[in-house]
This record gives sequence, C-alpha cells and structure tokens, in this order.
Amino acid sequence: MAEIKLIPEIMIKAMSKEIKDGDKAAHGLASPLPIMAMSLAKLTHAPNSIFLSAAEGLDPDLDKLNLTISSADPRLSKGAIAFLELIELFDLCQRKETDVMFLGGAQIDKYGNTNLSVIGEYSKPKVRLPGGAATAFQTPIMPKTVIWAARQSKRVFVGKVDFKTGVGYLEGGDSRERAGAWPTKLKVITNLAVYGFDEETKLMKVESIHPDVTVDMVRENTGFDIAIPPNVQITEMPSEEDLYIIRKLDPGNIRYSEFR
Amino acid sequence: MKEKLMSMEEAVGLVKHGDLVTTGGVSFHRVPMELIRETIRQGKKDLRIVDREPAIGFDLLIGAGAVKSVRFAMLGFELLGFALNFRKAAEERRVELIEDTCGAVLNGFRAAAMGIPSIPVRGIWGTDLLEVGIQNGNYKVIKDPFTGEDIIAVRAIEPDVALIHAQRADIYGDVQIWGGRFEDVWKVKAAKKVIVSVEEIVDHEMIKLEPYKTTLPYLYVDAVVHLPNGAYPTSCYGLYNTDYEHIRQYVQMIRDGKFQEYLTNYVYKKGR
Repeated sequence: MAEIKLIPEIMIKAMSKEIKDGDKAAHGLASPLPIMAMSLAKLTHAPNSIFLSAAEGLDPDLDKLNLTISSADPRLSKGAIAFLELIELFDLCQRKETDVMFLGGAQIDKYGNTNLSVIGEYSKPKVRLPGGAATAFQTPIMPKTVIWAARQSKRVFVGKVDFKTGVGYLEGGDSRERAGAWPTKLKVITNLAVYGFDEETKLMKVESIHPDVTVDMVRENTGFDIAIPPNVQITEMPSEEDLYIIRKLDPGNIRYSEFR
Repeated sequence: MKEKLMSMEEAVGLVKHGDLVTTGGVSFHRVPMELIRETIRQGKKDLRIVDREPAIGFDLLIGAGAVKSVRFAMLGFELLGFALNFRKAAEERRVELIEDTCGAVLNGFRAAAMGIPSIPVRGIWGTDLLEVGIQNGNYKVIKDPFTGEDIIAVRAIEPDVALIHAQRADIYGDVQIWGGRFEDVWKVKAAKKVIVSVEEIVDHEMIKLEPYKTTLPYLYVDAVVHLPNGAYPTSCYGLYNTDYEHIRQYVQMIRDGKFQEYLTNYVYKKGR
C-alpha cells in the first residue's frame, strides 16, 4: 500500500476540485472527507460556493470549524447564516438548484452504481449495511455526484453491485436516462485514484492515480477490467497552504477514521 | 389555555403497543433519549418506528425488544460504525425492515402534515429502492395529471406518536427549538399525538416576548415533560455536546455481549 499519510489530504484536494466557484455543494452524515473538501474549496478556489450541511447550518464560519465524529454535530454550524432544514436540500435538488453531492459506496460498480444497503441477497443479507441515506433520492437527479471510498479493494470495486441503492450510469449507454433518471456527471475518488467515465460506454476509467500508487495496484484492487490511459496523470498533491488549512480544520485527525 | 405539563410516566403512557412512532433530532443530536428510555421501561411492544437517519435512539429500542418494524433511510453510528442491535436484528430477521431514502421519508411526513394522502417526488428512478418501495406499498408510479409525466408518489407517513426533545417550552406546549430543527416541525404536524420533553420550562410571558422563536405553538403539542439533559448522550444545541465516549462504550458493550448490562445501568436505573 502507498504511503498512507497524505492519502486523505490528496483525496480531500481532489474532491474539493470537483466544486466550482458558485456551486451549491452538499454533504450527508458520516462524511468527514466531503466536509473537508467543501471547506477547502471555499477557502481556496471557490470562495462563493454554498455550503449545504447535514448539520443544517448554512455557510458556517470555516475558521471556527472543527471536524467531529458526527457530520450533523452542532459544532459544525458555528457562525452559520441560517439553519436550512434538510428537506430544503431535497427541494433544491428537485428544482435543479444544487450542483454537487458527495456520497459514499460500500460497493461501487463499473458504471458507478453504488450499494449501501446489503452484501448478499436483499431479503437474506450476509451483511445488513446502514443504508444509503439520501443516495437513492439524489443520485438520479443530481447534475454531479462525487463518490468517495477510503479503502478501494476488489470487494468495493465490483463488476455488479449486489443492490443498487444509488444509480450511476446503470448498464451504460443511455440506460440511466431510459430508467427515468436525469443526466449526470459522476466522479469516483478513492485512496488510489480519481476515476471518470467514458462518454459513450459510460464505463469507469482512470483519470489520475495518486502519487506513489502504481497502475498494478489499481488493477489489483479493482474487480473488473478498467481502462487506464498509457501515460496516466498523477493526482495533484495538496499545496502547503491546503495542508495547513486541512490540519487547522481537523486538529483531532477525524479525517483518518475511515482509513483505519 | 390547557396546561400540558405532565410527568414523564404519564406522557409516555400515551404511547400504545403497536404504535407507529417517530422521534426527533437526527443521528447523535437532540434525540429524545429519556422519552425513549421511558418507552422501554414501560415495556412498550411491537412498535413500528420511522425516521430518516436515526442512530442510538432506534438501536436502543430495537435492542430492548420494543420494535416490530423499522423504516429508515440510514441507521448507523456514522464514524463509530454499525448500529449493532439493528444489524443483528436485521440479519436474524427479527425486525421487519422498510428501507427508504431521506427525501422520500421527509416528503412522507410533509404529506401527512399537509393532510394529503401522498406526495409526488423526483429521485429514486433507476435504483433498486424503487421496486422495494412499490412492493411494500409506500411508493406508486403515477402520471402527473397536468404534464402527463411519470412520477413517483410517496404515501403520507402519519405517525401515531412523535417524541421530540427541545430546549424550551411553557406549560401550555409552546416550544422553542434552537439550532437545526431537522424535520421535527413536519413530524409534529404529521403525528396524531406529540410528546415534547424540554430542558427548561419557561414562563408563558417569556414565550410571548419573543414569539418569532416559537417553533411549535401549543396547538400542535399534547404533552410537555420537563427533562433536563433529556437528549443525553446525544447533543442539545446551545446547551451540551454529544457524549461520544458514552456512545463508544455503548458500542463496546454490545460487542462484548453486555447489552443487558447497558440496559440495567443506563435505562432501567432511573436518575442517570
């Protein structure tokens, strides 16, 4: 495994780059990396991005933010302008007024469908997972979803998910739209690489691999054939300023929790 | 105005076996934990519980054997891992699971609050939860009567009881919720009976001095219980933080097979 030390920070940086200035970005529960990515974006390249939080505080003061075990902790709302009930986030999504949502995936398949419900058969699961929260509601209607996974392996990156809690490109091509979901742009960001999807086939492909990660490591931890361009790019390292911001926002190193 | 201040025992006595119950707050925040503990102490059975993203509150009810079915969008302990009682009961199929998604659950409460039988929503298309929701009778694909487009209708969720914890109320049930309200306002308006525990009982005149702070006026509330620290170990905005160490201990005790000991120490022994 690559030097694990800066992997969370590299992921946070890559996730933050998915937010453009002015975007409305949202995170759910159990989302330390999305909170950090949204904060970093706002403090660097996207000062006018709008911070929609599961703690319901709109645009909290980021110099007072301290990452906590729960992503709805009242301490994440210090200096907020208002409290936006979560139902307003779904209303905004339905009105096509949100831009980026960050969601997890216990299983992620080659078309970007995600499973957060069960491992095994739905009615008799081997493992009953906590459930997908907003995943089933938002993945069909968000213009952009960023899926993160802190521990990529063949058990996470699977050919076909056991249950589609979230819809990606379904079975490729235009099958997503034919199923009634709106067009979307998907990104997957893991501890190994950043992934996009082919314009036509909608199959997952590598966009960049993190520093010190090899192409073989990506293949060994992917349960399907994945396209890797010959001169694959290296994921951008966070700058000194980025690292300073990240450490200041998370002095308790909560961001490492998912990597253990 | 009718006084609604009651003892905890009397208020929770309004909950009946088999009721559809929802609880306020979210995850580890402003959850009516003492009302939940009293529900367990009173031996309520076959409850059908529903919430968007519950955590320790629902896990406790499930572990104590009070639950017949659970409707949820996510039931986990965030970075502290699985909700272990829930997971075990689910895998052993001792509780009926009704998996759902946040936007649908919230709109279901909103529909009931509006007095309408169902509400159309976007989202869910292409996911396997669409079929799950159709099969369990909570979703139906309909044609919008004006545009003709296919849309998913979510059946209204009308709980028999909503248990809520808040910062302040007067004896008539005029309630102030500070900080994130989550969907408490919708749950309260959707429910047939509303029981609110509060950190502080204040004079009616205090409420009238700042009416813009009244989140739930008395007409929505059936019972008020004075329970300082009533959200513990979850947080109460502006007053106390989540006791994550206690929650870690809860998780560890379940792992060690000591959940009955947890119930004895923290639920059945009153006066924490």
